[in-house]
Amino acid sequence: MPQSHAWPRRPLLAGIAALPLFAIRRARAEEPYVLGTLFPMAGPNAEYGTIFTAGAQMALAHIAEDKMLSRPIVLRAEDSQGTPQGGAVGMSKLVNVDHAIYVLVGFTGVSKAAAPIAARAKVILVNGGGVGPDLAGLSPYYWNVIPLAPDEIRTIVPYLASQNLRRLAFIYINDPFGNGVRQSLKAELAKVGGSVVIEDAILPTDQQFGAIAARIRDAKPDAVYFASYGAQQAEIIKQLRDSGITLPLVTYSGANIPSVETLPEAEGLVLTTQASALSSDDPVTQRFVRDWRAKYGTDPTAYNQNYYNAVRLFALLTASLEKAGKPVNGDTLRAELLARRRFPLVGGEGVFDDLCDISMKIVVNRVEKGKLVPLT
Amino acid sequence: MLLLQLLVNGLESGFLYALTAVGFALIFGATRIFHFAHGATYALAGYGFILGERLGLGPLASLGIALAAALGFGLFIEGAVYRPIERSRGAFFTLFVAAFGVVIAVQSLLELGFGRSYVVVSSPLSRAVSWNGLYIAPLFWISLCTALLLFGALALFLKLSPYGIALRALADSRFLIRTYGLSERRLARLAFALGSALTVPGAVLGALSTGLTPSVGAHIMLVSLTAAVVGGIGSMPGAALAGILLGLTETLAVDVLDTAWSEASGFVLLFLFILLRPQGIFGAELRR
Repeated sequence: MPQSHAWPRRPLLAGIAALPLFAIRRARAEEPYVLGTLFPMAGPNAEYGTIFTAGAQMALAHIAEDKMLSRPIVLRAEDSQGTPQGGAVGMSKLVNVDHAIYVLVGFTGVSKAAAPIAARAKVILVNGGGVGPDLAGLSPYYWNVIPLAPDEIRTIVPYLASQNLRRLAFIYINDPFGNGVRQSLKAELAKVGGSVVIEDAILPTDQQFGAIAARIRDAKPDAVYFASYGAQQAEIIKQLRDSGITLPLVTYSGANIPSVETLPEAEGLVLTTQASALSSDDPVTQRFVRDWRAKYGTDPTAYNQNYYNAVRLFALLTASLEKAGKPVNGDTLRAELLARRRFPLVGGEGVFDDLCDISMKIVVNRVEKGKLVPLT
Repeated sequence: MLLLQLLVNGLESGFLYALTAVGFALIFGATRIFHFAHGATYALAGYGFILGERLGLGPLASLGIALAAALGFGLFIEGAVYRPIERSRGAFFTLFVAAFGVVIAVQSLLELGFGRSYVVVSSPLSRAVSWNGLYIAPLFWISLCTALLLFGALALFLKLSPYGIALRALADSRFLIRTYGLSERRLARLAFALGSALTVPGAVLGALSTGLTPSVGAHIMLVSLTAAVVGGIGSMPGAALAGILLGLTETLAVDVLDTAWSEASGFVLLFLFILLRPQGIFGAELRR
């Protein structure tokens, strides 16, 4: 009987049946990593959204150029409107609809609203813009790549004391961020024998500050410290100066945006920021600064740097996980971060503590002709 | 002295509010259209002025651009949005939603054209000078004179001019307007043109003093609406007075309450009027 050359029927059928499984596996391998952004994209704080996103996008371009990951990354944007309510709604959509595994966030109120949702879904939330004191250790899945307000207050208060500016007028937004700054400022002032002689709580929507200027003039402080954000900062500066307040105006890193720094009335404004990374000579920083200047014709701000670092951090962690053949999710990303702790980021080596917060040096600056000039 | 300074600040804000609120009241009084996009007219006028200044055209030409932007937008929305909806017997809510959509579109266009940041025209006119311990900026006097001049001119126009009388008639009875052979549509366009033009001084003064963001219209609309209700729906003198009252309330509240209550105090005023005098300051008593 001649030997049959026909394929055995059973293995053939099994092979055909298994084909879709290979297709699914291949499709999964090409499925992109979904990153989310939860920034204010409209309204008076929209300027921040543009600045934050630009930093993240440059990091994505560099990651793609370097082929750091086996799968592409897509960025899904949700408008937080800079409010806790907008943050909660946007975060729910990023988690449940877009299935984002790593979300970039800014603003203290937004962070506090989004963090429980992220923690439940085990999605990593990375903050590069909010500085409220209680953002440290908000949840195991909440990381900060920006120094928080207490660090800035601890730097500015001794500086003010050295300039004999101990009696402060204080304007702050009545929200978790503003109240956190208020607490830190009062505690630090007490250490140097200073005090807040008059304080005014404002709403994020307030636009008229002439009345506050009148109260400040009446209280005769040594300087005015304000803790606000977005367009309101420029409104405060302009209206205080227009109302004849010639006292030193002092604030935190939220004013490190072009619309404030280029305001003629902001000349002489004193503000704390994280130390500039532009002069750092490591290749990561040099490439970032070079490409930024080529693309935008200006120097990057600290916010651009922070969100670049947030996305780069994701790529570095994910590349390690891919190499080890581990899945990429909130738990493995967190475990990898705590295992390594030190990462080559813009500005030099980024070091993270047990709460997954980065540590950085803070400097005091003065606005001179639209630019920041370091004082310390 | 503090109280006197707050009074001056309150009057300055109040004049700006009054100018915008009167425009809203004029449009609503004559056409019964709840012009929710009135704040967008303010924003466009303000940004029109800023555009002129950026192009170095000088204050007068910039004012012209602001006026053209406000008039163009007012007539556009009346003809292209409200009129077609009214023709198809659209409900009040349809008009409201359409206007809301236009507000968002205008905000997005301004963001695209001017960026999302704060913009302001720096001018020595906004800088206060000390006068016996009282700090008053030249803009205060400009606001005061502009408001008085425009309210006077508007009152005369509505009282003496045939078009003004027709506008008042339109507010009273559309049926009579048609009976007398007048064009309801032309009068509605006139109301929109005048109401929109009245936003220009407030917008320009705002661009010089507080500055603008693309979302500024929402706050202005809120103020206009509050002033229109407190003043008496459709009453222009009422809206003007309520605008000034709002400015004073917001500022003087700072002296007795926490600063955070400043903006809320205006709405407390609104709430009190709704409870105690629902027809507003000059509104006619409601008949059941």
